[in-house]
Amino acid sequence: MNLGTRKLLDRSFTALGVGSIVIMGMMLLVVLMPILSNGITANVFRGTIEHRKLLYNEFRRGDHAELQRQIAESDAARRKAYAMMAAFEAEMKLMSEEKHAGYQEKYDQVKSAMKALLGPVPGEELPELTRFKYGQTRWSKAEERLHELLYEKQWDYSNPDVEAKEYDVSRAASFQGTSLVKLFPYVESNIDRMLLPEWTVYWGFITDSSIDSHMFGGIWPEIQGTIFLAVGAMLFAFPLGVIAAVYFTEYAREGFFNSLLRSANSTLAGVPSIVFGLFGLAFFINTLKVSESKSVLAGSLTLAIMILPTIIRSAEEAILSVPKTYREASLSLGSSKWNTIVTVILPAALPGILTGGVISLGRAAGETAPIIFTAAVSVGSAIGLADVFSSPTPALSWNIYNLASEHEAASEIRHVQYGMVLALVTIVLMLNLSAIILRARISKKLKG
Amino acid sequence: MNGDSPATAGRSSAFIVSARKRKLQKITRMAGESTLFLIAAVVAIIVLFIFYFVARDAVPFFQIRGFSEFFTKTDWYPADDPPRFGALAIIYGSLMVTAGSALIAVPMGVSAAICLSDVIPFSVRQYVKPIIEMLAAIPSVAFGFFALVILAPLLQNFGGPILMWTWWLIASPFLLLAVIVVSELLSTSIQDDSRRRVVQRILVAVFGLLSLLFLFFVGKHLQEIQILTGTNALNVSIILSFMALPTIVSVSEDALQAVGRDLREGSYALGATRAETIVKIILPAASSGILAAVILGIMRSLGETMVVWMASGNSSHVPEPWYNYLESVRTLTATIAGDMGEADQVTGSARFHVLFAMGLLLLVISFISNFISERIVVRQRKVLSGQ
Repeated sequence: MNLGTRKLLDRSFTALGVGSIVIMGMMLLVVLMPILSNGITANVFRGTIEHRKLLYNEFRRGDHAELQRQIAESDAARRKAYAMMAAFEAEMKLMSEEKHAGYQEKYDQVKSAMKALLGPVPGEELPELTRFKYGQTRWSKAEERLHELLYEKQWDYSNPDVEAKEYDVSRAASFQGTSLVKLFPYVESNIDRMLLPEWTVYWGFITDSSIDSHMFGGIWPEIQGTIFLAVGAMLFAFPLGVIAAVYFTEYAREGFFNSLLRSANSTLAGVPSIVFGLFGLAFFINTLKVSESKSVLAGSLTLAIMILPTIIRSAEEAILSVPKTYREASLSLGSSKWNTIVTVILPAALPGILTGGVISLGRAAGETAPIIFTAAVSVGSAIGLADVFSSPTPALSWNIYNLASEHEAASEIRHVQYGMVLALVTIVLMLNLSAIILRARISKKLKG
Repeated sequence: MNGDSPATAGRSSAFIVSARKRKLQKITRMAGESTLFLIAAVVAIIVLFIFYFVARDAVPFFQIRGFSEFFTKTDWYPADDPPRFGALAIIYGSLMVTAGSALIAVPMGVSAAICLSDVIPFSVRQYVKPIIEMLAAIPSVAFGFFALVILAPLLQNFGGPILMWTWWLIASPFLLLAVIVVSELLSTSIQDDSRRRVVQRILVAVFGLLSLLFLFFVGKHLQEIQILTGTNALNVSIILSFMALPTIVSVSEDALQAVGRDLREGSYALGATRAETIVKIILPAASSGILAAVILGIMRSLGETMVVWMASGNSSHVPEPWYNYLESVRTLTATIAGDMGEADQVTGSARFHVLFAMGLLLLVISFISNFISERIVVRQRKVLSGQ
């Protein structure tokens, strides 16, 4: 091979490595950007009058007089639409039997689309579920519903070779010649006045409980559950891990037992997270019976076992990185070994130990599999501090799965799911970022 | 020294150690050390407990149903009457997504690690490391949500074009390089300089055209593929590979760093380029450490639950043909997570215990691979330090 080719190969080799790193960075962006941009819409969005009604009725929030004025304004616009529907109902009664039957089904669709858009027709009995008591609270959703009101979805099966194609048919066309035909242009041009959208910042998404299984309201129970579980896990694992690290670094003598313990530590680090969940179920709940069934305590204990190896390793590293001179100075002043560890080495290693602790806290907050069988429930309100020993809790990680995969209206509440993912990712990445900054400071300090 | 009272001020007794006091000190020290040892031993006890308690609930399944059905049959109908517990398809699904993720993550991870340890200057590395750490920190459920809500619809709607563009982007630089190198190698035997250059150019043109045709036809073939469901093994493999990458990168970077400067400098002194040094000298020396990194990364994919549960489609069958990554699969972890809810109410039945049997299988695999990777790392350290 001549020199040119060798140089070319060398360059492309470098490009391969740089390319891999760039792809990793891009993947991070690709995952985080949609989560960030969509997650924010859970807090900041164009809220309609229905959103403000809901806030007032459920949480007594908002200016009552202003709300009443807006309700009067939107009702004035809606009344005309309802009057058109009433007129058509009267017209249908006069029709011949078969003509009536032909229109009835289509009219029912229109009626339910109106209900989905604006909420129940005034004068009708209020439905049981909160999600049917209000119209669309978010303008983006209202626009989708408006489209469903104006157009009927149909499928084109004409070409058997390709997948059926979807196309829209105007509903107004199918009511040609009746009085209802006026309804569609009216609603389309007056939807602003019916729903009165305005930009809303809904901080309650973080601090409110959910209403009607996350159709409305916030995610506070999940955030609180995540904090309980993660902090609980740290309470068990942190002291245990630091003491174990002190033993490994200061007291352990090389030998069979020591290498066995180290192997145990790395084995524990490699156990799949779902197996921790099985163990938590079989040991803490079915054998030790720390609680009747799932509880925050059982979940915290399971998570504590999972993060223990990480804490031990990082604490060990932190203790080993304390300069030898510190120890020798302390010992030469006549202080005992234990005294040296407690008063000199641990304080010096503390930032490093905390770094590991903070990263483990993030890991405990984000992990799902260990808490499925031990602590998590899909619906529930925020639990009090006294209930942690006996009751399960909703948690961000579990509820993200639950809302995205098992909720009956999963595609309707994407904004809630994105909001939850954003909350979880923010918690975890903030913890990690603070650990990274902490570590950068330590290395600067150690360099002098 | 704080204990110095005025009464003993004249002659400090702090440094006079009586026999009794020394004995007392020794006892307290022994007691303290053994307490510490016991606390450190908690880790080992936990590992034993995990094995014991998972095995205790797994054994009844094998007692009731035996081994052969679980490992050799592919029909998984635990709720039927009579129930069938053939887990082969599920085990295969686990292996399939793990292999798929390794196929993506290993080349990327190793080349990124090489880049981090040998190519990028230290000042840049400080900014790259946090990227990898953040990738490792993102909760698995967030990755699963991404796979289910964003990647799956993309694959389903634009699967063919996505596959084609990926193929073009990845294959074309490699083919270009291969064409240049091959025509160079084929023309080395020609002595005359100007004639060699002409032959080389002709070869590049011929091979270039051939490879362009190859790229085009494969790309066209890929573009015509219609992905029926976005929640499939390919989706999961992609996401899992990015979850395994941080482990692979950081562990293999450690292995590459452990090789030391003298080998590198020796190679450079003999006139080798950086790529030649790394491929021929550093990688063989660090190979065992890199193998350990690969094993640990693979274990991460195998043990991952949320991504596969959300985005693999959860249909327990062996894809047709067996390498078809565009079909839904089901994995061990997802089965444990998904079936426990229904099995829980009937604690004690085979349906409950079979999930523990799966857990035990995962546990045993992770234990063995951990053991192997640890041995490898220890041996490499010995070889490198003892020469």
